[in-house]
Amino acid sequence: MGKTTGFLEYKRQDNRELPEKERIRNYHEFHQPLSQEERQEQAARCMNCGVPYCQWGKPIGRMVAGCPLNNLVPEFNDALYRSNRKQALERLLLTNNFPEFTSRVCPALCEKACTCGLNDEPVATKDNEYDIIESAFANGEMKPVKITGRSDKNVVVVGSGPSGLACADQLNKRGHHVTVMEKSDRFGGLLMYGIPNMKLEKEVVNRRIDLMEKEGVQFLSSSPIETKAQADALKKKFDAVVLCCGSQKPRSLAVEGIESEGIHFAVDFLTASTMSQLDHCEPAFSAKHAHVVIVGGGDTGNDCVGTCIRQGCTDVVQLEMMPEPPLERRENNPWPEWPLVKKTDYGQKEAIAVFGHDPRIYETSIAQIYSEKGRITAVDIVKVKMVRSEDGRMTMQQVEGTIEHLPCDLLLIAAGFLGCSDTVVKAFSLKTVRGNAEADNFHIEGNLFTAGDMHRGQSLVVHAIAEGRKCAEEVDRYLTKY
Amino acid sequence: MNGLRDKVVLETDGKLMCGRDVAVAVLLGAEEFGFATAPLVAMGCVMMRVCNLDTCPVGVATQNPELRKRFIGKPEHVVNFMKFIAEDLRGYMAQLGFRTVDEMIGHTECLHKKEYPADSPLARIDLTSMLAKEVEEDSYAKKNIFDFKLSQTKDMKLFDDACQNALQLQKPWHVSLEVNNRDRAFGTLLGSRITRTYPHGMPDDRFVIDCHGNGGQSFGAFIPKGLTLNLKGDANDYFGKGLSGGILALKTDDGSQLKADSNIVVGNVALYGATSGEAYINGVAGERFCVRNSGAQAVCEGCGDHGLEYMTGGTVLVLGETGRNFAAGMSGGIAYVYDPSNVLYKRLNAALVQMEYADSKHDQDMIKTMLENHVRRTCSQLAQNLLAHYEEEKDHFKVIIPTGYRDMIRLIKQNEEKGMTADEAQLEAFYTMKEAH
Repeated sequence: MGKTTGFLEYKRQDNRELPEKERIRNYHEFHQPLSQEERQEQAARCMNCGVPYCQWGKPIGRMVAGCPLNNLVPEFNDALYRSNRKQALERLLLTNNFPEFTSRVCPALCEKACTCGLNDEPVATKDNEYDIIESAFANGEMKPVKITGRSDKNVVVVGSGPSGLACADQLNKRGHHVTVMEKSDRFGGLLMYGIPNMKLEKEVVNRRIDLMEKEGVQFLSSSPIETKAQADALKKKFDAVVLCCGSQKPRSLAVEGIESEGIHFAVDFLTASTMSQLDHCEPAFSAKHAHVVIVGGGDTGNDCVGTCIRQGCTDVVQLEMMPEPPLERRENNPWPEWPLVKKTDYGQKEAIAVFGHDPRIYETSIAQIYSEKGRITAVDIVKVKMVRSEDGRMTMQQVEGTIEHLPCDLLLIAAGFLGCSDTVVKAFSLKTVRGNAEADNFHIEGNLFTAGDMHRGQSLVVHAIAEGRKCAEEVDRYLTKY
Repeated sequence: MNGLRDKVVLETDGKLMCGRDVAVAVLLGAEEFGFATAPLVAMGCVMMRVCNLDTCPVGVATQNPELRKRFIGKPEHVVNFMKFIAEDLRGYMAQLGFRTVDEMIGHTECLHKKEYPADSPLARIDLTSMLAKEVEEDSYAKKNIFDFKLSQTKDMKLFDDACQNALQLQKPWHVSLEVNNRDRAFGTLLGSRITRTYPHGMPDDRFVIDCHGNGGQSFGAFIPKGLTLNLKGDANDYFGKGLSGGILALKTDDGSQLKADSNIVVGNVALYGATSGEAYINGVAGERFCVRNSGAQAVCEGCGDHGLEYMTGGTVLVLGETGRNFAAGMSGGIAYVYDPSNVLYKRLNAALVQMEYADSKHDQDMIKTMLENHVRRTCSQLAQNLLAHYEEEKDHFKVIIPTGYRDMIRLIKQNEEKGMTADEAQLEAFYTMKEAH
């Protein structure tokens, strides 16, 4: 095991960030890795727990504690501490197909459940993971794996998001012939267009697609499946069809005037922004010189804040319906549960640096939209509170006399997703439960499978990879009969 | 069955986590229950499994003061946990229709084996004999408790008015009596009375019993400070077991024709686990003399194999030859051995200890004092001779001391000289030693 007293000797050191005002000048990643000595110290902080909650990945209450991929955190931390990078990489890749994605975008469930975090700062596992995988890429150790013993089975994965890619990778490495179909022009799903470049450089996504292509996965872009005929043809042509189409139906607002121009869903906004950067052109619409209001206080909302600032917005507010969370864990939310605490993410930090105040307003929603000539000009925001209605359900109620008027040229809705898109549901005649594709252990019917957000509803990249892996296992069992 | 069930109380443990676990254990026949993991977790243990490394991050199993600050457990947490266990168990008892745990013991008919599909390996497990009910039901309820006949022991006969009076008034008290080897643990009950009345003990030799005859097993076991047993004769095994401050003196019978220093006069494992007090044996001790002694002073005139095994403290003077494997696993304490023919090095287990000539002033003073005490207590001929010719004999004494113990003593002494309190000096020495390893 690693250094037994490491956690007492070294303090946690995160990867350093470029100053906010500097990094908003471009869309590049802004974290700077530690030196090798510093990294080794960070790895030495791991306590190699007898019961490592970091790799547990089971729900406590409604939230998962520990890594859903069951990443062998103590093992790779130990190997890193001992400078055995080969072993660290091996143990990391054993459970995680794409550490380069998770080490950038994951909210690090492992660290929230880290025993070191009970009385101190948790081990910097996410940054350690980043270091392992990025130095492997830099040193040319991430070479295409030669797949031996090919089967005669053909599988198509519809959707190239994290679950689709993980599923394809697993099935390919198992020897099946895998084709990945993507409706957009570029691969990666939300990894490509949902997550802004400063959080996940698109080169990193392409690097992985290239690697998988060299390993034998076929990628088809701009290939949407929209009709029943197309769907049937797929089911006939391939031995198994895996649907990883995500949870694409965004939740809208029930406010009059929502159809006005200048009101967009967050994902559309982020897509337009990333697309313009990659195509080196102006985005279809942007936040430049705009008063921006973002509805939704989650990670996507934060990504929108960061993107708006880079596009040069005049100002930005982010509305959240729920009350402001505490800075420390509440008594009824103890370690190793997922902590329901206030987290100020990169976008919000940038907003504070640029505009001098936190963009977030809590317990607030949109009451009214004002538009001129079909274009939004302003909004009324109002305080809301949760009230238990007569039938016992919690509902949102506006608080009288709390209306505030805000100028608004761009209203972005980042209020979550309701389930998979109607097009796919119709084409494949799917049954849905709460908007998600209904399946028995990833198996829909016949040779049809599903995984990822489409199956479990909107969630984290790490959950999507876990879903893709588990689904691949089921598909493999179905194809090989053992 | 074999008729043994009513003679024993069955305790079970091993991952008892909830009321259901206890209920199953009771139904299988358990009567007492051991909990460890769950109450530990209730007071803050996170199952790090580093209890051996002194790095427990929640301060449960560590000596490190920094880490101990992190301990947030309270006795109430464990009390609460046990209340929940009891409440949970009551639920199961109510469902099964039992009013008390006692009436529930051994009702295996309430347990059924889970059904598993035929192809599951679990289906092949046969629990028939575990669930069999071959014990008489009332054999759980009625316990056939062994009668130790304590009221008929020689100790109880000592408690006459004179004894009570002496105890109450703290007056010196002296009796003489005959003992034989059926009198087991002679002196222990009297010792317990003294301890209960005077928890911190009495001055040495306040109560003295002169015994004559053959001491039974555990003669003088656990006797406290203030009680002295003089035995003229010999003694069986466990002489002075767990000696806790009292003084034992054993000398050969006046009429004996045997030479004291070449005949075994006391059985095996004398002074087993003694913690304090003194013992003087005018003769050779059996095997495992002073095993696990942690603080008593003892003198004997030779000992059998494995002498001073696992000793952690105290001082022992051996005036004759030792058996093999002397001082094995000895991690503390000091031994002086009279070794005129230089054979000790062949008998010594030197894994932890070091042998030197006992030529320092401190050692010489110690040996002399112990010899004098030995003569005073037992009139030992050998000790008298050694004292008479001390200048010629003093070079024949060897001192045996565990190396780690020696370094530790030295460090503590240095720290104390720097002005630390005894506790601080010990803790500081502990960490200095730990660093060095």
